[in-house]
Amino acid sequence: MPVIFINGQEVDTLGHDTVLKVALAHGFHIPHFCWHPALSVAGNCRICMVELEGDGWTDIACNMPVKAGMRVLTDSDAVRAQRKAMLQFILLNHPVDCGICDKAGECALQDYHYEHSGAPRQTPDPKLHTTKFFNLSSRIVLDNERCILCSRCVRFTREISKSNVLGIENRADHSLLRPAEGHSLDEDPYSDNVIDLCPVGALLSRDFMYQARVWYLEPAPSVCPGCERGCTVNLWRRKPEWRLKTLDARQNERILRVTPLENPAVNDYWICNWGRDMAKWLERPRAEQAMLKGRAVAIDEAVEAARALIQAAQRPVALVSSAASNEELEAFKASLGDVFDTFVKSDRVAADGEVIADELLIRADKNPNTRAAQALFGTRPVIFPEDTDLVLAWGEGVEFGELPRGAKILFMGAWLLPENGSADVFIPLSIQTERRGHYTNFEGVVSGFEPVHERPAGVADAETLLPRLASSSEGAA
Amino acid sequence: MRHLIPEFDRLKARLPPGHDATLLVPCLNRIQEDRGFIAEQDIAGLVEYLGVPRIQIDEVLSFYGMMRRKPIGRWHLECCRNVSCSMRGSERLLEQLAGRLGIKPGETTEDGRYTLSTVECLGSCGTAPVLMVNGIHHENLDPAAVDALLEGLD
Amino acid sequence: MDFEVTPTSHTLAAYRARGGYQALEKALRELKPAEVTQTVMDSGLQGRGGAAFPAGRKWQGINLDDGLPHYLIANADEGEPGTFKDRWVLENTPHTLLESMLLASYALGVRHSFIYIRGEYDHPWRRLAAAVEEAYAAGYFGASILGSGFSSDLFVFRGAGAYVCGEASSLLGSIEGTRAYPRNRPPRMTVRGLYQLPTIVNNVETLSNIAWIMRNGPQAFREIGTPKSPGTRLISISGHVVRPGVYEVELGYPWGKFVHEDCGGVAGGRAVKAVIPGGISSQILTGKAAGIMTANDPDGLLLAHEALAAIGSSMGSGGMILIAEGTCMVRLLQIMLRFYHHESCGQCTPCRDGMGWMHRVIDRIVNGQGRPEDIETLYQISRANDGTTICGLGDAAGYAATAILDNFRDEFEYFIEHKRSMHEGRLECL
Repeated sequence: MPVIFINGQEVDTLGHDTVLKVALAHGFHIPHFCWHPALSVAGNCRICMVELEGDGWTDIACNMPVKAGMRVLTDSDAVRAQRKAMLQFILLNHPVDCGICDKAGECALQDYHYEHSGAPRQTPDPKLHTTKFFNLSSRIVLDNERCILCSRCVRFTREISKSNVLGIENRADHSLLRPAEGHSLDEDPYSDNVIDLCPVGALLSRDFMYQARVWYLEPAPSVCPGCERGCTVNLWRRKPEWRLKTLDARQNERILRVTPLENPAVNDYWICNWGRDMAKWLERPRAEQAMLKGRAVAIDEAVEAARALIQAAQRPVALVSSAASNEELEAFKASLGDVFDTFVKSDRVAADGEVIADELLIRADKNPNTRAAQALFGTRPVIFPEDTDLVLAWGEGVEFGELPRGAKILFMGAWLLPENGSADVFIPLSIQTERRGHYTNFEGVVSGFEPVHERPAGVADAETLLPRLASSSEGAA
Repeated sequence: MRHLIPEFDRLKARLPPGHDATLLVPCLNRIQEDRGFIAEQDIAGLVEYLGVPRIQIDEVLSFYGMMRRKPIGRWHLECCRNVSCSMRGSERLLEQLAGRLGIKPGETTEDGRYTLSTVECLGSCGTAPVLMVNGIHHENLDPAAVDALLEGLD
Repeated sequence: MDFEVTPTSHTLAAYRARGGYQALEKALRELKPAEVTQTVMDSGLQGRGGAAFPAGRKWQGINLDDGLPHYLIANADEGEPGTFKDRWVLENTPHTLLESMLLASYALGVRHSFIYIRGEYDHPWRRLAAAVEEAYAAGYFGASILGSGFSSDLFVFRGAGAYVCGEASSLLGSIEGTRAYPRNRPPRMTVRGLYQLPTIVNNVETLSNIAWIMRNGPQAFREIGTPKSPGTRLISISGHVVRPGVYEVELGYPWGKFVHEDCGGVAGGRAVKAVIPGGISSQILTGKAAGIMTANDPDGLLLAHEALAAIGSSMGSGGMILIAEGTCMVRLLQIMLRFYHHESCGQCTPCRDGMGWMHRVIDRIVNGQGRPEDIETLYQISRANDGTTICGLGDAAGYAATAILDNFRDEFEYFIEHKRSMHEGRLECL
């Protein structure tokens, strides 16, 4: 591989084609707003300037082709002066309302100002004002005063999501980011990615607005359960030391936002809007009470009753959840795989108005772990043998009306459903965010999730529950 | 704009094939020449005819100084205010027009007959000051010539 | 351009009568494309749009064997204030341009060429469009021209009011039907230009020299002008001059003689205060520095690219503006900065924010609210735009402002201190 020199240091280009990419790969800091690894080069922010040693020539690094032996300076006097100048230009009309801007703490403009400028605005002339709360969609609000017209969001809607909703209108400093007339970003199922892309606080999530300062939050890696793509995500909740005394434990442990977790093997830098809402989806009313035909019991009693049902059954059939983790499915196989005639059931289908599938991320199978379930239990369609006398139903998506009449029902699930009370035995389960585990996506990529909060008391983890259901007696002396 | 489509189709004869979006500016220019401005249905029609996304047309329309989304007066009086014209009396010319018509640049008279605008260099620096009336350059103007010009507009 | 302008001199018949299209016929019959390019190289022809880049060298950037479509675009956007000489060609001898474009298309393997003409040029467009139809009817465009096997089509593309479209890469965006933002280089336009294919953009006047060069030979071209700047240039002169208009000037011609003898000197007999040599984006010079105080000024400069470059200015677009003593330079700069602000495309940070900033500062000065630091602010903004922008608009505004401030700083200081112009805000020379 050819080598170049950055600040006098010899570095291998590692096959990268521009100076910016080589520099970033080696940990050199070159500030940049408009460049993004997944988007075309725009070269409009002009802050990634570097200097060619000897020559004094400065130019943007994001569009500078690598030439073997070239000598580049990323921090010369000329470069520093130009960076300060670009920041001063942005500061000219930028509202600097960090005090009420959600982006504070993760804003490139803030960071670069502190690192490379620190100079106050040089002119006392009044700032130009424009739209502060433009209704871009039901999910995203646009603040044109903060916008630095880097065009990342525009390029995203042209090159990645291909919704073509966003563009820039007018000229000079009257330029404005706008959606196509008569269109809204609600048409774009990947719209919220522009919130992450925006280097400043111009594009903000309505959901997350004013919920918490980002420095009070920490991310936990997880996997979106929305479909078999299994995009990796970060679930953000309050750091332990920043939990509020005025809130209860559950509220303090809420997931405040969902962002993509970069993953070259699965979803690159993106997730779809369903994934953004996964925390809300996981906040649906929970089943927290074990029951026998609707009568509340302690969970141990329910487990005992379940075991008895399994022992007594002649023709037990299981419908396993395709939203269960690899570990839970393996536990089922190990403890009950020989006992039950096991089918894989789809827990979720697309809701009204939900995108079924597209060429970017969204897959038609709306379950996170069909692949692992099918690998263990096959792909047979659910057909109950005539003499089925016990059905173990695990997870959602069970049509209770279609279960064989006369069969006992052992139902395990996380959600508060009316059917819970009609099962012979009902055992409440934990959800993804309450335990550790892995899903296998449709291409066989395995991704893991971490717990984000405690599970409610009285709720079982399927992984430890299932072996208990299999053993002949509990608590042998 | 549908009645213009045969004309647009003929334009393709001298263009390399496969780049329909090249017709966007020519189509917009012709539509504005025909209608006086570019209407919502024209834009929808072009989205279909050229197969370009709506946003592209919105961006292009807002970029060019000569393109209009709204109708203006019957006579569009565009006065150059750049260097050479200013050095040969265009500021007085503009005052004269504003005075005669009772409107400021950017406005249209109540009766809808005249719209007054200022524009940048029209390439008539040697025959300054210049006034463009509905796209036609009127050059070497002095106050008397301006009065005569206005009289001549019906 | 040696002919008399008459009511019919722009027609095909008149053009042919003065030897027009003979060079094309000969080239198609006897020359290979590469030989045409070599002739242009040998002539030393420099661009006449502003940058004075050698035309032949630009053409050599096209690889005739790449198997790709190539495009040729004549830049008739002519938006640089003070410039109206391409207009003269389009109105009075459009066939010179057309024959030249055909020769260029032949040389560069161009099947489809364009003329990008600014939307405001209505009469020039009519003359040009009529000439194009005449040329098509005579078989100079279309399939297998004059039976040569070489085919070429021309599309006249009208702009719609954007000075930035005169920048070659912005022009591409306009033709492609998108927002006409200028483009970063690399890639060079000869590698990826129109539709991401090899493209040559030449100024109208630059191209119009090709027919003459092919007819008379590169040596004959070199015998005119200076060794570094061969040929002639069309100069459009305006402002406070007695005889404004378009003049064909041999490069190397004494500037003082041009202004005072050919163009009649300053209106009202006043002294020359300053001159903008080639469009407002070229650096202004005082009359003394340009050596044009009289026809025989001992400091007289010659009108040649190298002579103006040597004193830090440029022949630029050929749009010369003569400024008489008594003109308020602060108001003049105000008009220029207002122009640059209006025309900035808004793509890159320094120009987008810088042009608005400069405009607001100068407006304040002219409105009597200037502050002492405003002069330094204008210098700073100019420096911050120098070499940091995507295209030359931002730099141009900076050079224009800097040159005026360098030469007439006292007027700005006066305006700021006294809240009024040193010259009653005068722009006219009455």
